[in-house]
Amino acid sequence: MADIASRPQFTGSRVTRLEDARLVSGQGRYLDDVEFPGMLEVAFVRSNRPAAKILKIDVEAARKLPGVKAVWTHEDCPLGIKNAGFDCTQWVLAKDEVRYVGEPVVAIAAESRYVAEDAADLVQIQYEALPPVLDVRTALKESTRQVHEGKSNVFFHRERKTDGFDEAFAAAEHRLSETFIFHRQTGAAMENRAFAAVTDPFTGRLTCYCGHQSPHELRSELCEMLDLPENMVRVVVPEVGGAFGIKASMYPEYLVVAWMALKLRRPVKWISDRQESFLADVHARDGVHDVEVAFNSDGTIVALKDHMMADGGAYTAVPFCGAIGETVTAASVLTGPYKIPHQATVIDCTYSNKTPLGAYRGVWGPIASFIQEGVVDRVARYLKMDPAEVRRVNMLSDEDFPYRNPSKMVYDKGSYLQSMEDALRLIGYEDFRKRQAELRKQGRYIGIGISVFVEPTASASSEAGSVGYEACTVRVEPNGTVTAALGLGPTGQGHETTMAQLIADQLGVDVTDVVVLHGDTDSAPFGGGTGGSRSGTIGGGAAITAGREMRQKLIKLAAHALEASEEDIELCDGKAYVTGVPAKSMTIRELAQLAYTNVKGLPPGMQPGLEVVARYLPPFRVSFSNGTHIAAVEVHTDTGKIDVIDYAVVNDCGNLINPTIVEGQIHGGVAQGIGEAFLEELRYDRDGQLVTTSMQDYLLPASVEVPRMKIEHIQTPSAAEGGFKGMGEGSLIAAPAALIGAVSDALEPFGVMVNAMPVTPAQVLAWVDQAETSA
Amino acid sequence: METTKAREVVQITLQVNGEAHTVEVEPRMLLADVIRHKLGLTGTHVGCEQGVCGACTVLVDGEPQRSCLMFAVQAQGHDITTIEGVTPESGLSPLQAAFQKHHGLQCGFCTPAMILTSEALLRKHPNPDEAQVREALSGNLCRCTGYQFIVDSVLDAAAQASKKEGQ
Repeated sequence: MADIASRPQFTGSRVTRLEDARLVSGQGRYLDDVEFPGMLEVAFVRSNRPAAKILKIDVEAARKLPGVKAVWTHEDCPLGIKNAGFDCTQWVLAKDEVRYVGEPVVAIAAESRYVAEDAADLVQIQYEALPPVLDVRTALKESTRQVHEGKSNVFFHRERKTDGFDEAFAAAEHRLSETFIFHRQTGAAMENRAFAAVTDPFTGRLTCYCGHQSPHELRSELCEMLDLPENMVRVVVPEVGGAFGIKASMYPEYLVVAWMALKLRRPVKWISDRQESFLADVHARDGVHDVEVAFNSDGTIVALKDHMMADGGAYTAVPFCGAIGETVTAASVLTGPYKIPHQATVIDCTYSNKTPLGAYRGVWGPIASFIQEGVVDRVARYLKMDPAEVRRVNMLSDEDFPYRNPSKMVYDKGSYLQSMEDALRLIGYEDFRKRQAELRKQGRYIGIGISVFVEPTASASSEAGSVGYEACTVRVEPNGTVTAALGLGPTGQGHETTMAQLIADQLGVDVTDVVVLHGDTDSAPFGGGTGGSRSGTIGGGAAITAGREMRQKLIKLAAHALEASEEDIELCDGKAYVTGVPAKSMTIRELAQLAYTNVKGLPPGMQPGLEVVARYLPPFRVSFSNGTHIAAVEVHTDTGKIDVIDYAVVNDCGNLINPTIVEGQIHGGVAQGIGEAFLEELRYDRDGQLVTTSMQDYLLPASVEVPRMKIEHIQTPSAAEGGFKGMGEGSLIAAPAALIGAVSDALEPFGVMVNAMPVTPAQVLAWVDQAETSA
Repeated sequence: METTKAREVVQITLQVNGEAHTVEVEPRMLLADVIRHKLGLTGTHVGCEQGVCGACTVLVDGEPQRSCLMFAVQAQGHDITTIEGVTPESGLSPLQAAFQKHHGLQCGFCTPAMILTSEALLRKHPNPDEAQVREALSGNLCRCTGYQFIVDSVLDAAAQASKKEGQ
């Protein structure tokens, strides 16, 4: 019996996606396409103050508006969201005090969204302003007002240092320091967040529709917060128009809508508009890092120190507090692919009067990568060495694996140095340097940035929750087609295709004969969902395991029916046949009919039917993907504009399930990296108002700003089933550091070394002016 | 204090995908909302209602327009085409098939508008170069794909069409 049905036909192939036909023809059903007779629509009145006491809420005029069914304040819906790790509750409708602009205060249910918004305009709230706390350094001061009265603004503090750090730091030949600054950003999925709830009239169960990354995690949270048993709540995740981490959170609006459906006994729906999305979706990044590095004249880096500060916003989000993710995870891989023996970190996460911080793709990654690569670039410039050479001097090599970094994280085998050398070749590094020198003489400034990344994937806990395994059911239907279900929460990643590829190879059937269900807690087995780049590895492992169990069942059945030994049965092309005797065969359809209808024809002890459920827990805590991104940019010193003129990626995520889908993930991550490096910033003014609440103010990369990318793959298998590693976030982890590094390189003649992102044209012009003034 | 008036409703006839639809709407209703919620054509997606993301793009007299920046009453007398109108009765249009072949979509939310915008481009410029495709799509945001495979899809659909033409 071979390890898979026959040779793998689909795993590793560029299979076109099975979900596409409905999506390209506009037949995908997203949340706003969920409609029920009598459905009410909700609008929220949100705080327009960053910090204030609520003195009075006048809802009378709103209640009287024809078409309005309910106007709720805290007293009508006294539910709260509390992250178990912290002493802080967010009331789903603010109680007594508001703590960020956008915090829900009043909820209105009406016959249409138009009417609900009319009513929202009629609500009057009287506030008494409090001084807002708006940045992490201010929040850290003892004298600053407490965001939550009676509680320290520092909700998380941790100090770690390797043994012998101080001696090593002091003994090094050189030291440099820098402050790295990361502004606020958010996932900005094309489909806004939304939630609908309806009580099933036949069973009384509550059905909730939500674009969410983890259906079972959401059900658990809803049941806990609404005090309902889990068998009375069903979560259905329809088509989701992108998520990127922001749709892994529990939000106040969800509980309000569910509570309304229960109390008003009507179907209820809320769709966020884009302004609400910027105000009330979880934000990300917003960190300040005071970094010091100690190194020797040969370029060897010996010690790295970082005071990591994150502005967590007004509340600690559930289930994933972004400030912790952006710092603690960054600390765990701060040295990246470099063999830096000593590390010291101090972490401070603070409250502020800003939107809570949660997950956005690559949580921690753009931060740690920029620090790690920024440090290497500074060492190179200080020592007048080639930046690629300083990387070679410090890079992990093949004999180092498994490698335990100074935070005691264990890296499995990767292709760190090879990925960089391949990427340098792909971009034409030596030629670029020559062209750079020539163009500089003409007053044109091009630069190159290297980012060698590590990507911890498929770990036990992520923003999707803390379930370390994934589950899959595989059912061969009576006519021989296959239905599988997983607890994953895909939001564009193509799981219906990749999971079908793995299962089809186990069963020897065509990939189009496998339908993969997901996103419905009534059909999917309990699982962790999608987040932390876990689906391909852990979900894929579950698909393979369940597929294999089904294969064994089919083989046993075929051996009995064909009167052959199990060792001689092969599954291929939708048939089971006896090796060497192709004429002696049965189709999967015939076997399925036997299994379901001919109970007497089954092997002794075999139950009728063909259905298995399997769970898969990887044999590691985490598996590291790796790779190198190299960006080339031209910086126009007259306008401040930055053009990305070339981009190379060498990616190693272990064995590939579908190279095309992997490349699509890389392209998207690089585009988001361009946004992170050059465009996207959630800006608060000094009064605490968020001033970037439209896509005209919060700029996403468009087709003309994202370059064509060159991609190559290396495949260093992991120890997981199939040898897969996760890869959903590596490209956004790596890209900003490469892009920013390229700007620093381009502007070297102006003495610029970038320390903050995003870099805007105005910033470029300021640097150029400054250099010209001082020259 | 504002007074509450009865909401005015008008009857309009919209020509959508070659069919006339008579509906009652408030004058303030957006074309996007009427297409989705009154006509049930949910392939038109609303991403920002600020006229920026382009997800709600439909063709008005063959030109890509944002249906969130237009009142339904303004669309009377014009030919509206939505994604449902360019989808053949069976199978996919050449552009739709090219998007599938080249992985020109991930979550699919921006896709119907991308396809409509590309349709309009190819009708005007049957053989665009990459820069023209990128320029034409620059008003349609996609958060998933990084655009490369979308551009490949459009270029390939154009190449296939001109190959067919040449035969």
